[in-house]
Amino acid sequence: MHIPDGLISPQTYLPALALAAPLWWWAGREFGRRVGDEALPRLAVFTALAFVLSSLMLPLPGGTSGHAIGVGLLALIFGPWVAFLGYTLVLLLQALVMGAGGITSLPVNALAMGFVGAWTAYLLFRLLGPLQAEFAVFVAVMISILLSALLVALVLGLQPLVAQAPDGSPRFFPFGWSVTLPAILLPHLFIGLAEAALTVVIWRHARKRRWLPAPVSSTA
Amino acid sequence: MPLSHPFRLGLYLTAVVAVTLIHQPAVLLVLLAGILLLCGEGRGALALSAARPVIWILLLISAGYLLMGWLTEQAVLAALALINLRVLVIALLTAWMVRDTDLDLALARWPRARRWLVVVRGQMLLFRRLVQDYRQAQKSRASVPPTLRQRYLGSAAIGLAALDKGVHNAELVTLAMRSRGALDE
Repeated sequence: MHIPDGLISPQTYLPALALAAPLWWWAGREFGRRVGDEALPRLAVFTALAFVLSSLMLPLPGGTSGHAIGVGLLALIFGPWVAFLGYTLVLLLQALVMGAGGITSLPVNALAMGFVGAWTAYLLFRLLGPLQAEFAVFVAVMISILLSALLVALVLGLQPLVAQAPDGSPRFFPFGWSVTLPAILLPHLFIGLAEAALTVVIWRHARKRRWLPAPVSSTA
Repeated sequence: MPLSHPFRLGLYLTAVVAVTLIHQPAVLLVLLAGILLLCGEGRGALALSAARPVIWILLLISAGYLLMGWLTEQAVLAALALINLRVLVIALLTAWMVRDTDLDLALARWPRARRWLVVVRGQMLLFRRLVQDYRQAQKSRASVPPTLRQRYLGSAAIGLAALDKGVHNAELVTLAMRSRGALDE
């Protein structure tokens, strides 16, 4: 669900940057506190996995693309702050290496998928984990993807309202919410189901290999 | 005089932001032509690699908006030209920057970010290699293409194997670095 460069206005990406910058700074602090040198390679492996998962893209009529995200998995294993920072790196690499997403749209993409996606998955897992761990992983990832997709759809649909030429024609993304909401949310319903199932498989594997941090393992 | 890599990165970031402030299709067209002229040899391949990731999204947006304009009898061509040109100019700038800028050198002042980038890139190469190996092995052993179910099962197996191999490999590298005093402990 990356938004490419050139489709969102400075009226959108500048406030998003103002919001994301202190969150990146804080996440960097948390990263330094929580991730030691011995955990960095494992984090890199899961960051690369998130990169691979979110690189298989399908263009959607809503002006973006449909793909798995992988941030839920990062959040469940490394916590939401590290996942947010890791996913920002994924988005940056995708923008530079593959031309997917973009630099001006990075703060919006990072907030929608990295921050909201990671925190939603993490908090829902904490809430539902005591009931049944695998069910909690499935629901947490599914809801986190839908919430991220909703935010992307809202941001894109906002563009014709905030950036118009004097004659009323759009200067950036041209469709409103009546198009973006169904065009982005409906495909992500199916993508969310697939990614949630995939995350359960990988999470089960990570638990078997004892890669999960102690509190998450004990929830299982 | 060749520009330093951090300077190129800074120049690129400034240019990308500046392009989003331009709302005249003619200016964007001149910019597009100027970039193609300045980027030197291999401009065809560069233009192709820049257009490939955005072309389907642009086609979908353009087709949808043209249809909407036709149904509501509104003039949409100028707005479409502006949107398409802006996306293409930024995509071309990004492809040019990636081709001519060494990110390792550009990030030299941020060693932790540089190290993370290097490790992630290494893992991506490892994953890509494993997927290629798997596909070639599967192709060489089957006379007909795999069914969707076989592809899903195969992908799951290779995914988990790649994960194991990636973690094992990364931990080995860390142990080797620590034993040689490279982690500064």
